[in-house]
Amino acid sequence: MAVNVNRKKNYNLILGGGLTGVIMLFILIGIFYTPYDPDAMNAADKFAGVSIRHLMGCDNFGRDVFSRVLEGSRTTWLVAAGTVFIGTFFGVILGALTGYYGGIVDEILMRVNDAVFAFPSILLALTFISISGSGRYQVVIALGIAFIPSFARIVRGEFIKCKNMDYVKNARLQGAGDFRIMFVHILPNTLTVLLSAVMIGFNNAVLAEAGMSFLGIGVQPPDASLGRMLAEAQSYLFRAPAYAVFPGVVIILMVLGFSLLGDGLKNE
Amino acid sequence: MRYAGKKMITMLLTLFAVTLFVFLAFHLISGDPATSMLGTDATPERIAALRQELGLNDPVLVQYGRWAKGFLTGDMGTSYSYRLPVGEMVLDKLPVTVTLTIMAFILIVIISVPMGIYTARHAGGWVDRAIYMVNQVIMAFPPFFAGILITLVFGRIFRLFTPGGYVSYEKSFAGFVSYLFFPALAIALPKAAMAVKLLRSSLISESKLDYVRTAYSRGNATRDVLYKHVLKNALIPLITFLGMALADMIAGSLIIEQVFGIPGLGRILLSAISNRDYPVVMAVIVCIAVLVLLVNMAVDIIYGLVDPRITVE
Repeated sequence: MAVNVNRKKNYNLILGGGLTGVIMLFILIGIFYTPYDPDAMNAADKFAGVSIRHLMGCDNFGRDVFSRVLEGSRTTWLVAAGTVFIGTFFGVILGALTGYYGGIVDEILMRVNDAVFAFPSILLALTFISISGSGRYQVVIALGIAFIPSFARIVRGEFIKCKNMDYVKNARLQGAGDFRIMFVHILPNTLTVLLSAVMIGFNNAVLAEAGMSFLGIGVQPPDASLGRMLAEAQSYLFRAPAYAVFPGVVIILMVLGFSLLGDGLKNE
Repeated sequence: MRYAGKKMITMLLTLFAVTLFVFLAFHLISGDPATSMLGTDATPERIAALRQELGLNDPVLVQYGRWAKGFLTGDMGTSYSYRLPVGEMVLDKLPVTVTLTIMAFILIVIISVPMGIYTARHAGGWVDRAIYMVNQVIMAFPPFFAGILITLVFGRIFRLFTPGGYVSYEKSFAGFVSYLFFPALAIALPKAAMAVKLLRSSLISESKLDYVRTAYSRGNATRDVLYKHVLKNALIPLITFLGMALADMIAGSLIIEQVFGIPGLGRILLSAISNRDYPVVMAVIVCIAVLVLLVNMAVDIIYGLVDPRITVE
């Protein structure tokens, strides 16, 4: 690979990496330390404004918003990561098998895939939730299932492109089995495309989780979630605007960091 | 025409698959509707009588057929919790959600097409770069947070509308549309930001192609080349995106309705989910699925009009 001395600095990568790094750091710190107990109520501090004692003020029960944001962003992050993991894992398996073998199974699975894909993922998750009940694990499973088709479609496309390439034929001549060819030879070559799909999927998952928790059918109390904090804050919007603004800004920064990082990696 | 017909058949098949799936999922897992309608202290005889009345003793496929037939004739069953015909409940709210989505869609087009063209023509300039940064931030907005901020800024500070002051379309259509403007804006903004980015990059990559150079070399003005040649080709990715976005927006409007206190499909869906009122949940989901599939089919047909190459397999 040629080294371009005069290349422009990749600001997207720096900014996105920085933002994501800072948020991850806060989430990690939040596991071990929060300034206050996120669930501790203090009637004296009800709707307290932004101050040194309460960096983001307090909510309607006098709970410290900063501590709750730390806990909530952890929940949101974990749900998004779990969703993307399920989507990628099954998406890769489905996409690899259908793309590599083709045939009637591929045709049927892709028709099903198209039907699911045409459906808004949040609606699919709503259907699942209305059957299974709500909670953080249900949200992960529901969103994860809803995300499988998009990953399967991307991986399938890449496998179709790669399966007749010379290195695959070469591997086959050397006696490599189908599974070895699929997951040792072809899969690593799809990683660039897969990575940007993961970045976009992660952001969609963050937004979907926030939306579902906002509607009250996502993460349930006592787990804090950024979406649910926004739903609670909405009732007190005019009395304590800060309570609504901070969780929302954290969601935006989380998504922004990842999308800049994704853009930056694409240009690398 | 053959192309459109083929797309229509695909749509009907998908619709059949989706409705069958929804019906089976709710049928298998939802438990016994007779018990949930009568409550736990009902006598076994009453439950058995109601089961017979609701036709729950028939085979599953017969029940699906009856349900689908009823759906087509507008009879979508009876709500467990309200004891009202589901058809009336849903059809009453459907125009609200549809209007909201259409308004948001129009806003997206109005915002994104001029901005996309401008940023592509002035790529690299400071306005382009400023718009890129603003777009990146807006794209990261959850629509409902955009809604909350809009309520705060336009409802509270500038007092351009009354938060929660929804006007029913039966009472005053003008009042209804003007109340829906800001909710529609909240849905439109993040999608419009994505559309600008997409149109910009597709215009730029399209204008590097040979036919554009040829068009210039024959002495055409920039304006003509841009609007008669480049834009037409560059719109195809945008149409794909808008089709997908529209499906997303129909679902997204369920959330925005909640933010602005609009009694649309979202409200009945949510209360039905928490009450386990399955006929209502099913009806709303199938209605949205039909809308989404219609949108997809329309997009496919519009493709064929914009780019006749697509209709030839």
